[in-house]
Amino acid sequence: MPSTDPHSPIISDGPAYDAVVVGGSLAGCATAIQLGRAGLRVAVVEKQPDPQAYKRMCSHFIQASGVPTLERLGLLEPIEAAGGERPRVRIWTKWGWIAPPPERAARGVNLRRELLDPLVRNIAAETPGVEMLLGWTVDGLLRENGGFAGVAAHNREGEERELRARLTVGADGRDSRVAELSEVPVKTYPHNRFAYGGYFEGGAPADAPDATVWFLDPQWCAAFPTDSGLTFYAAMPTKDRLPEFKKEPEAALVRFLSDVPEAPPIRAGRAIEPVIGKVDMTNRMRKPVAPGLALIGDAALATDPLFGVGCGWAFQSSEWLAESVAPALQGSESLEQGLERYSRRHKHELGGHAFFIHDYATGRKLNPAERLMFSAAARDPKMASRFDTFGTRQVRPQQAMPRMMARAVAINTRHALAR
Amino acid sequence: MSGAGAQPPVERSSLLAGGTRTRLLQAGPAEASEAVVCVHGNPGSADDWEGLIAAAAATGRRALSLDLPDFGETVAPDGFEHSVLGYATWLGEALTELGVERAHLVLHDFGGPIGLVWVAMNPDALASITLIDTGILPGYRWHRLARIWRTPVVGEIFQATATRGAFRMLLNRNEPRGLPRDFVEAMYDHYDRRTRKAVLALYRDTDDPGSAAPELTKLLAPRDIPALVIWGEEDAYLPSSYAERQREAFPSADVHMLPASGHWPFADAPETVERLLSQFLADLAPSEIQP
Repeated sequence: MPSTDPHSPIISDGPAYDAVVVGGSLAGCATAIQLGRAGLRVAVVEKQPDPQAYKRMCSHFIQASGVPTLERLGLLEPIEAAGGERPRVRIWTKWGWIAPPPERAARGVNLRRELLDPLVRNIAAETPGVEMLLGWTVDGLLRENGGFAGVAAHNREGEERELRARLTVGADGRDSRVAELSEVPVKTYPHNRFAYGGYFEGGAPADAPDATVWFLDPQWCAAFPTDSGLTFYAAMPTKDRLPEFKKEPEAALVRFLSDVPEAPPIRAGRAIEPVIGKVDMTNRMRKPVAPGLALIGDAALATDPLFGVGCGWAFQSSEWLAESVAPALQGSESLEQGLERYSRRHKHELGGHAFFIHDYATGRKLNPAERLMFSAAARDPKMASRFDTFGTRQVRPQQAMPRMMARAVAINTRHALAR
Repeated sequence: MSGAGAQPPVERSSLLAGGTRTRLLQAGPAEASEAVVCVHGNPGSADDWEGLIAAAAATGRRALSLDLPDFGETVAPDGFEHSVLGYATWLGEALTELGVERAHLVLHDFGGPIGLVWVAMNPDALASITLIDTGILPGYRWHRLARIWRTPVVGEIFQATATRGAFRMLLNRNEPRGLPRDFVEAMYDHYDRRTRKAVLALYRDTDDPGSAAPELTKLLAPRDIPALVIWGEEDAYLPSSYAERQREAFPSADVHMLPASGHWPFADAPETVERLLSQFLADLAPSEIQP
């Protein structure tokens, strides 16, 4: 006898979908595209009714680690056609710039969410097998045989529906309702910085469209040149600096960026929309699977925006999930096996990164090992390349650290002897 | 709008004031009765300000700095009182000698208490103020080094054993990105026996550098004097939390916290400090510029 959770007492017959994806943003739409292309029936449930809706508080930077996924999804070309930039990243440190040789530097993607989100959503909507339900809000999760089996939702006209599926996917962000309803285990990590940012016309940083990041230790700020000649300027100071930003967000942001070493000409620019901020960014790491259910993107791992990993990992985790569960949804193995594979992949790929990111999010200064690596990367181009590969999340810390540490020690020893 | 144009040359000369001959660095119209006056801290000298004097003079103003007695290359006269009041009084004599009637003060470190006491004695002579890692310091507890200097015998031993290497190491250890080598070397060159003795006397005479804060606040806040505050966020001696508090005495202050700087922002971030000062001076009401 099927049962449901208390939020959705109604029961219907037979799963209409192979997967129901809650959240029609980057991770959700990317999952729908891939499952649809695998011949599966997918419903995407998105509470925003507007197909042009987009996430506002986001640096929109997609790390180079996410680019192969964009290529495989066929999204890279349309993103570039829409004006997306392919930036390298230069990092200011007190030891000098970390700027790997340009021919070896990784390239990420910068396209404003205002353009990126509708673009990805449109491609999902046009994918055979994908049904977009815009303006629908999830009320509860359906349960069947000890597992999750879809969602109950309503739209703005008050219509209620049960969307039964063999797999329920939570792609509904940092404050995931699906994660909350499914009660998967969650670990939280404190975040002692806040973020303010906004788009500026003019006043682009040196070397645009390459991105520039200032590791002021412990303060942080960045410039991300993007489509249409705009630049997204952002600062993530420690919370003791919050009052000045709350008082005058734009003036504080401009002042902050103007006062950093080798400052960008932000004063020559003009904010095209209000500078906005986010104060609570508690990091959340959730178990990404439960019976019949998976979490992707920020719903699985909401980590520090300082490292610009959110968008890239949204695409990547959608790919890991789609690859892991497609065989099961096509009937060649059990869903449990597929979900277990996804869970392991997620932990394998992101667990190490998350550990380091969460630790730095406390607002602390760089620790001795980090100082060793940052300084070596500023002093040696080969080290800068390795640092870049790691920083753009193309290798895991477990792979990168031993060799990087050894090299960093050698470089700094040479540097000390040469003085 | 920045008023900075080509930077006029900084001229070095000397000035007889308060019974001693001091070094004078000066640029811009030397006859003007309104001037940008830079007061160094400890250990510091007139040389600290060379770049800023040029930047300030580029806004069309007279700009100058002096060695405080027993700092830099200047010897204090016999009986000179090494106290905040003694130095403030001497500063007043020097400005009279220079024909400066209105001052745009630029203060750093111990130049802060000294300059502010001069302000308390001559409130109408203050045209604007730029505070660099200094200012009113209500509730301030002396930093560790100062506590050493203030302790009899211990302070003397410390000064006697401050070799060039130890000085360099001590200074750089507390600075987030280190200081330019030339800057530190010049500072040590000036840190001779006279300066070391003067430092002990000055710190020992100053029990509470924050004690004047309430009176200064009461005197200055209603005047709302144009003020620029620049503070290295990683200052190990005077905490950057004091930057915002300068608004208590200067309500309209433009406060800039330099995130990668320490106690000497004009040495570790000279371009930023020069830009902020030139902008600040250029933005002052035209009536405040000497014709």
